[in-house]
Amino acid sequence: MLVPMAIFAQHRFPQPDFESGYVYPERHYFTPAEPFWSYADVAMLVLLMGFVAWAVIRRQVRWPVILVSVISVAYFGFMRAACVCSIGGVQNVALGLVSSSYTIPLFVLLMFTLPIIFTLFFGRVFCAGVCPFGALQELVNVRNYRLSKTVTSVLGVFPWVYLGLAVLFAVTNSRFIICKFDPFVGIFRLGGELPLLLFGVALLVLSIFVGRPFCRFICPYGAILSLFSRVSFMRVKITKKECINCQLCHNACPVDAIRPPYENKVKESRSAGVNRILRYIILLPLVTVAGAVIMYMLSDRLSKVNSDVRLYDMVVQNETRPMEVQPLELQTFYGHGKTVEELAAEVAEINKAFRIWSIVIGAFIGLVIALTLIGLSTKRTRRFYEIDDANCVSCGRCFGYCPQNQLNKK
Amino acid sequence: MRRAISRNIALVSAIFIVVFSTMLITNYFQVSGSQTIQSELLEGLRQINEESGGNLQLQEQIRELDLLARKAYFISLNRLRTGVVILLVMVVAFAVSLQVYFAKSRDIPDKEIDPIDDWLTKSRTRKYIVRSAGALAVCGLLFAILTSPYMRTERSETVAYADEYEYESQMPEEALAMTAEPESQSIASDPETTETAVAAAADPATTETVAAADTIQVSRVTHNAFRGNNSLGHSSATKIPTSWDPASGRNILWRVPVSRQGYNSPVINGNRVFFTGADEEARELYCYDLTTGKELWRLAARNIPGSPAQVPETTDDTGLAASTVATDGVRVCAIFATGDVICADMDGNRLWAKNIGVPSNRYGYASSLLIFGNSLIIQYDNSNSPRVISLDLETGNQRWVRERPQKIAWSSPIIAYVNRRPQLILMGDPNIISYNPNTGEENWRVECMLSGEAATSPAFSNGVVYAASEYAVIIAIDAETGTVLWRDNDILPDTSSPVATPNDVFVATHYGLFARYDAKTGEITKTMELNSEFYASPMIVEGKIYLVGTDGRVFILSARSDFSLINSFDTGERTYATPAFTDNKIVIKTEDSIYCVSSL
Repeated sequence: MLVPMAIFAQHRFPQPDFESGYVYPERHYFTPAEPFWSYADVAMLVLLMGFVAWAVIRRQVRWPVILVSVISVAYFGFMRAACVCSIGGVQNVALGLVSSSYTIPLFVLLMFTLPIIFTLFFGRVFCAGVCPFGALQELVNVRNYRLSKTVTSVLGVFPWVYLGLAVLFAVTNSRFIICKFDPFVGIFRLGGELPLLLFGVALLVLSIFVGRPFCRFICPYGAILSLFSRVSFMRVKITKKECINCQLCHNACPVDAIRPPYENKVKESRSAGVNRILRYIILLPLVTVAGAVIMYMLSDRLSKVNSDVRLYDMVVQNETRPMEVQPLELQTFYGHGKTVEELAAEVAEINKAFRIWSIVIGAFIGLVIALTLIGLSTKRTRRFYEIDDANCVSCGRCFGYCPQNQLNKK
Repeated sequence: MRRAISRNIALVSAIFIVVFSTMLITNYFQVSGSQTIQSELLEGLRQINEESGGNLQLQEQIRELDLLARKAYFISLNRLRTGVVILLVMVVAFAVSLQVYFAKSRDIPDKEIDPIDDWLTKSRTRKYIVRSAGALAVCGLLFAILTSPYMRTERSETVAYADEYEYESQMPEEALAMTAEPESQSIASDPETTETAVAAAADPATTETVAAADTIQVSRVTHNAFRGNNSLGHSSATKIPTSWDPASGRNILWRVPVSRQGYNSPVINGNRVFFTGADEEARELYCYDLTTGKELWRLAARNIPGSPAQVPETTDDTGLAASTVATDGVRVCAIFATGDVICADMDGNRLWAKNIGVPSNRYGYASSLLIFGNSLIIQYDNSNSPRVISLDLETGNQRWVRERPQKIAWSSPIIAYVNRRPQLILMGDPNIISYNPNTGEENWRVECMLSGEAATSPAFSNGVVYAASEYAVIIAIDAETGTVLWRDNDILPDTSSPVATPNDVFVATHYGLFARYDAKTGEITKTMELNSEFYASPMIVEGKIYLVGTDGRVFILSARSDFSLINSFDTGERTYATPAFTDNKIVIKTEDSIYCVSSL
């Protein structure tokens, strides 16, 4: 796991500075997403997801998930350098939906939509082992130390917040933060920014003892898939036979997605429970508006993520009090030919977009919090151990633990 | 047995991973920390190569060293990469052996860490979510409220700038930018602590902390080059005296004789005054205390590789130190007629020095220096190889150089902000050329100085460049396009540079006539016979033109529409240098002395 730490050495290497008549060779850049590899990626994605779906829904076996995980880490991870990934595709789609000047490449659109379609049919088979990030965590996981359900539920809100911020920065054409702060891409590329590499290594070390921390508490695409997974047509089952409530599967699940049997032991009156839900429903618009207001107030600060806004600030500062040493950005700006007025007009538009989208995203975050509270106010009696479809990542670990499945084999 | 083997493999691979990754990380920092191809040896050789003007044998040696350094770098990088691959293999071995070791270990039911009742867990979760969300909301609000003053400050500065521009429509854009500086700051009077105070003053947040009982007021309005900042002939200084008398000492703060002669002008930054002096024995850069007139330090330009053993011949009215120094408040640079350039810090420690070639000049080199950002701009128009040079202010290394299709000139560069983009404008014989000061790329050129000798410097105001030279022309050029707006050849200056406002261009001739041209049409709107000879250039301060004749007579005129003579008096000392201004003070350098005029 310390592999990538040692090789983030990507220096800017100055060229020889003699005027000896030497002609520098023409630079060649890799064409991003060459057609062949794009088709290969999509084909591989469909093939692997189909294989996992067959394994976990029809055959209820785990070994294909491990096999797919190894293939995914090797192919999507190290070979294809974890780009384009479905997780980051969220941003391309968001930008494509609001910007007329940005066309989403078909390949990216497929990488984004295919896992959703598969989830709608078979649950989160993409997360099982096709996603290289999930696969990497799955492969290193050895023991599962359970976390308090309270902690995991609270942390479970974060992917939605992250999703909201990622969409905000994408639609304002500011930055693709999911890609920028991707903790695993540096590992797959054997190089990257040190803090992110350290974060990625820390997540992997944590994954040895805690099941898939990135998938559960960070991944914004997982949050989207969890919505579709709730209503998927075919779902993963622990066993096709009757549950004997042995609790083995509950302990085996690395993502705590198996709910134990539950009988309503708290003798709360029905009216009290209804009143609570009603209170939350009344609070829902208030929380939504509060989220929108707070994000609106923060929109100016958030807009600093945009490089043009930062450049404008630098230009204003420089115009007011010329800098001793002009940074490269300023030198480029002044050498480019754009006027400060033009830049100011562009920045005004960006700030306006930030204000509008901050309201939308703030409302979205408020809505997520309110709906989470409402969800936590409902009661449902369960007689057996059941899979929580939203959080189940179809890893198939529970199959081997279920005595009923072992009986079936015999 | 299988379990034991996997355990042992896991252990060995874990130890290997820890040790090997430590070594790799150490190696990485060694590789990334080493400046292989920017080693002192290579840098030194490169500098010698630049100074020597191209020694083929030396260049070949540098090439070999450079190649060797690059090879060493890539070999170490390849080693690092190989090490990572080995490490990766060991990590895979570790992960697999760990999986094998724990393959048979089932996650058996253990003690529940959550309450048995799911409802209690949900109730607790609701509570934590509400608290977390509330805490985040409060943090967000506090952050938004607490940072709002800073956000407003940035915007308000811009607005203030715009408002001021509307109000002071007579002032050129660049001068307005300077008026954004705070009026004054406290600075320690003890010379030893001056530097600390100046450094602190650079940060407005620390200004208040500098104030102490034993302090004096020093303005932050600077005069960093010949004819002020960006060499435009304007100063944003305020409370400038309109009369003084060196003989009686009225309004004279201090007056000291100069050690060595020089026709350069003084510059002011903080509590320091800089100027140069030279003769056949030595060429020196001086720093004086603005408040007391005490000499703080002097730095001789000596032991400079390539510096000529014999100083070049110059005429008496030019000398070896006619070029004015330039400073940015951190460094100060000077150039002499020998081609020696020296750069010092504010304490007089030499940072670097180089000889850029002895200029071939029949009178003597006289173009002044100018600092733009981290570049030192040198107009080097001489008969051998006329060029403009940009040196890195920190190292003295060449940033860019442009050959100039010019003859000898004594003009000095200016920086003009056109549509808020900087242009480096150089006047010469026969072209006026605008460059990008960052890259040296040419923006436009106008061939107009077809006769005479270009000794004056251009002026700039409101997007228009003005240039005038005796026996040639006075011309107005649109700085955006390089289009000639108007030209005339009626009243022209010889050595004194013109100065411009959005409405007028002012010209002081060597035969004593002071003229005002209409900036838009080129029509002469008023002339004034001052009966003096002018070498020094006029400066516009507080709406007044300050002009000193070679006979020491000072003329203060209104730069506004009335263009009247406000005051005129004789100081009694021959003066060739353009005065330097800061709040309350003028520093004037005469043929034999330097003195400070103060209204305090």
